[in-house]
Amino acid sequence: MATPSSGPDWAADVLRHARATGVDLSPQTVDELAAHLDDVYLAARADGAGDDAARLTARQALDASGLLPLRHEPRPNPRATYERLADDAAASSRSRSLAMGYALRMALRQLRLQPAFAAIVILVLGLGTGAATAVYTIVDSVVLRPLPYRAPDRLVKLWDTNTEKGLAHDPFSPVTFMDYRALPVFEDAAAWWRPDVNLRDPGVEPVRVRTIETSANLFSLLGVGSQLGEGFPKDGPFFVRSTRTAVINDRLWRTRYGADPALIGRQLALNDTPFTIVGIMPPGFHFPDDVDVWQRLQWDLGQHSRSAHFMEGVARLKDGVAIEQARAAADTLAGRLGRQFEGSNRGWSFAVVPLLNDQLGYYRPALYVLFGAVGLLFVIGCLNVASLLLTRALTREREVAVRTAIGAAPRHIVVQLLAESVILSGAGALLGLLVALIAIPLVVAITPVSIPRLDEAVVSLRVLGLALGLVVGMTLTFGLVPSLVLVRRHTAHDLKAGGRGSSRDTRALYQGLVIAEVALACALLVASALLVRTVGAMTRVPLGVAPKDVVLAGVQLSAGFNSGAWPTVASEQATILDGIRAQPGVISAGSTNDLPFEHGWRNPFQPADQAFARPEDRPQVQYHSVSDGYFETMGARLVEGRAFTAHDTPDGEAVVIVNETLARRHYPGRSAVGREIVSTPSQVGPLARNLTWAFNKDGSRTPPARTRIVGVVADIQNVPLGTPAEPAVYAPTRQFPFGAVTIAVAARDRATAVQAVRNALKAVSPQTPIGTVETWDDRLASRTAEPRLLMTTLSAFGALAAFLAALGVYGLFSWSVTLRRRELAIRLTLGERPRSVGAAIVRRSAVMVAIGLAIGVGLVQAARGLLSTVLFGVTPHDTTSVLIGVALLFVAAIVASLPPAWRAMRVDPIEGLRSE
Amino acid sequence: MGDRPAFDEAKRGSAELLILALVEEDDLHGYEIGRQIELRSSGTLTFTLAALYATLYRLEARRWITGRWVEKAGQRRRRHYRITEAGRKTLAAQRSDWARFVAALGQVAGVRYA
Repeated sequence: MATPSSGPDWAADVLRHARATGVDLSPQTVDELAAHLDDVYLAARADGAGDDAARLTARQALDASGLLPLRHEPRPNPRATYERLADDAAASSRSRSLAMGYALRMALRQLRLQPAFAAIVILVLGLGTGAATAVYTIVDSVVLRPLPYRAPDRLVKLWDTNTEKGLAHDPFSPVTFMDYRALPVFEDAAAWWRPDVNLRDPGVEPVRVRTIETSANLFSLLGVGSQLGEGFPKDGPFFVRSTRTAVINDRLWRTRYGADPALIGRQLALNDTPFTIVGIMPPGFHFPDDVDVWQRLQWDLGQHSRSAHFMEGVARLKDGVAIEQARAAADTLAGRLGRQFEGSNRGWSFAVVPLLNDQLGYYRPALYVLFGAVGLLFVIGCLNVASLLLTRALTREREVAVRTAIGAAPRHIVVQLLAESVILSGAGALLGLLVALIAIPLVVAITPVSIPRLDEAVVSLRVLGLALGLVVGMTLTFGLVPSLVLVRRHTAHDLKAGGRGSSRDTRALYQGLVIAEVALACALLVASALLVRTVGAMTRVPLGVAPKDVVLAGVQLSAGFNSGAWPTVASEQATILDGIRAQPGVISAGSTNDLPFEHGWRNPFQPADQAFARPEDRPQVQYHSVSDGYFETMGARLVEGRAFTAHDTPDGEAVVIVNETLARRHYPGRSAVGREIVSTPSQVGPLARNLTWAFNKDGSRTPPARTRIVGVVADIQNVPLGTPAEPAVYAPTRQFPFGAVTIAVAARDRATAVQAVRNALKAVSPQTPIGTVETWDDRLASRTAEPRLLMTTLSAFGALAAFLAALGVYGLFSWSVTLRRRELAIRLTLGERPRSVGAAIVRRSAVMVAIGLAIGVGLVQAARGLLSTVLFGVTPHDTTSVLIGVALLFVAAIVASLPPAWRAMRVDPIEGLRSE
Repeated sequence: MGDRPAFDEAKRGSAELLILALVEEDDLHGYEIGRQIELRSSGTLTFTLAALYATLYRLEARRWITGRWVEKAGQRRRRHYRITEAGRKTLAAQRSDWARFVAALGQVAGVRYA
């Protein structure tokens, strides 16, 4: 018989019929009915009916039937299967304990039914744990781990401070250092300064090496020996004039000398002076920072000037001496020195700072702030998950009721719910581990600032264990507590309580969770707003320079120890600059010994028409050496008089330019231009020399008859950000050359500028390497990089926290609307306007959020001590920041309550009245 | 049939019994069940599409029968129903109830067992 094995597609007919009668059918039912109609059709064809007739028969069978009884039913319900399985298992194992493995399988199945819920919980837990672990690891390795020196907590860094000048971190005078070193609170103290050094080896490109010239006791004081060679003698003299020895670091030894052990005893040319290498320091030794070469001190620190601040130092506290005692002793000495050497030491005193704190600087408070922030974020995430678990437990109240009623032991239900929590927290923890493992090397690699010791950060098991423990504990608590409550209630009551019995106290608990989330998120947002304002304030500080497309290149021309070489240095520098200016694409060029933010040499200042009773009474000002063209290149503004020219040579009149602060302070109400001053600085060791000072027959030197102020320049920031510029005197390079200068080149683009410097150097002084090359913008950015990094991180955390808090608000009101559908329907039936129903929800949300925000602002104030250490130009009370943070979060929370409010307004009055 | 309410009621109550009895013998899909009922009652008992499947789903929800999808090459998939252990017990109980009921009808109203 030629009956087709299958007829037309009946599913379309079924669906059309279902739509026409307004009935919603499950896909399975559609399939099944379509199969049925197909059978009717095939039977009719088998009975000999034609295609049309058979179709009609089948269609009649469909049309004759209403589909209403099939509505809702019977989506083969996996949940029903699950419940049945769980209860069967519970019933069959009443005498023995339910195997956890079975419970876990059930739980997995249960979570698969709600993948969105599971995904959110795992994601929030994972990201929270990951971020917290990563940040804690960094804090741990950077801040908490002891420094790799002998008894590192006994080591202190020494700085000169001057409250009057607002200086807290200044180098000190070598002479004054020797006084402090003699204090009985110190076991020993070492000091160094930083010469700029070129390292030349035959046949290899010369390089600039970071060098300190240090007293010989530095390594023994730290308790670190060299990996190769003797190093500096342990009990040798503080300085030696006779022999020149140096120790180099592991990197230089490996990269330049191929880790050749025969380097010990060899001589290296440092600034054209031979030094014998006596040691290689072990890898990872960076003290005081990234230093390549440690030269042994060759001069008597006591035979220098008390006014020259250029040394740094570290000391070891004597056993049993507390840091407070050391500070008190230092203060006493400072007072005595201030009285004794009023001109040089008045107002100055030594700060004694624990070495670790000093090395971390901004990072220590910044990392604590970051850690606090990530902690808050973690807690917010946990609260979020807690509220999710809570609502979930509540929506399953009925399931628990049914199962309890048909005889499932409470223990089994608890084990079941516990298993779900275990899976969630386990997966969350795994994801967290993954996030941490990926994030830490990433952070180390991409951090734009060099954080001390960050490169040593690795995930420690201790840290990870802590985070995982927190997650698991939190999930179990919040998964278990609601289920225990539910089970207890339902062993006591009957089914009638249904899904509504417990809403009052759980709603209070839920609200508490959400308020806490909002409060913590608020604290985070306000803190990030404060950091945003900090960075803003930093970038708004007037610097006195406005360079456009300027490249800075460090160059060292050394006169070595040959003081007669200085005129050559001066002319070489001038030739190099002229060579640069002659290159195509170069707009202007100039050089300076101190860039903005760096302070110059501090020396006494004496107007020629002013007499001081004692030389010590003369005020201190900064001295800088800049070339002609420097002010123009850097965009500094000349207020009065003229700039330096090529004619300001040692043969001409000795001239200087002063800054506005100096002019205002020392020539109030009159012009500084044309005034004469007594030139005080003549020579700064092997660094520089004032060529306008004449040599006498006996070797002494006489200052020029007069030094004239020829110009006034607008203040250039010559101290770190946040302190007002100090009075400053600028001398022309041709008259007062410095060995180490930075050349500033304004050119068409960066490459042109760099090439111009290279070409000019090659022509004039092929042996001179270029040091660091950066643009002014890079340099400026690096000055604000630390707070900027903190700002970015905190802003990201703040946004995430706000999102989580909004999610919490949304969850709470969604749940509450679902729970109150019936009540809402009745109210709507009784004539309440939908708008007022919606408004009530938004209002409740507003009140709740307001409470959270108030608490959050309180939290910020509680943390203001810590916060103020990372802020600049704003205080933790800053109203704008608080308002920004509060407003952002408020809006987010209100927006989050809108969808539930909207849903509440659209509750069908009839639906609520129907029984479930 | 609308003018015979007694018959409708009886049919509705008996539908479950009929279906259980049919799937006790063999796994059947919905069309076969409807067809068998129609054939065996010589056309006296017929179900609309909705009534038939609503009953099947109800029985399944009570776990008296279970359905499973069967796919054969070249054909639409069909859902085959089979009786469960619980279904068998119910069927046995219903059979004896109906037997008693029909006997009672015979004695009281003179209805003969066919």
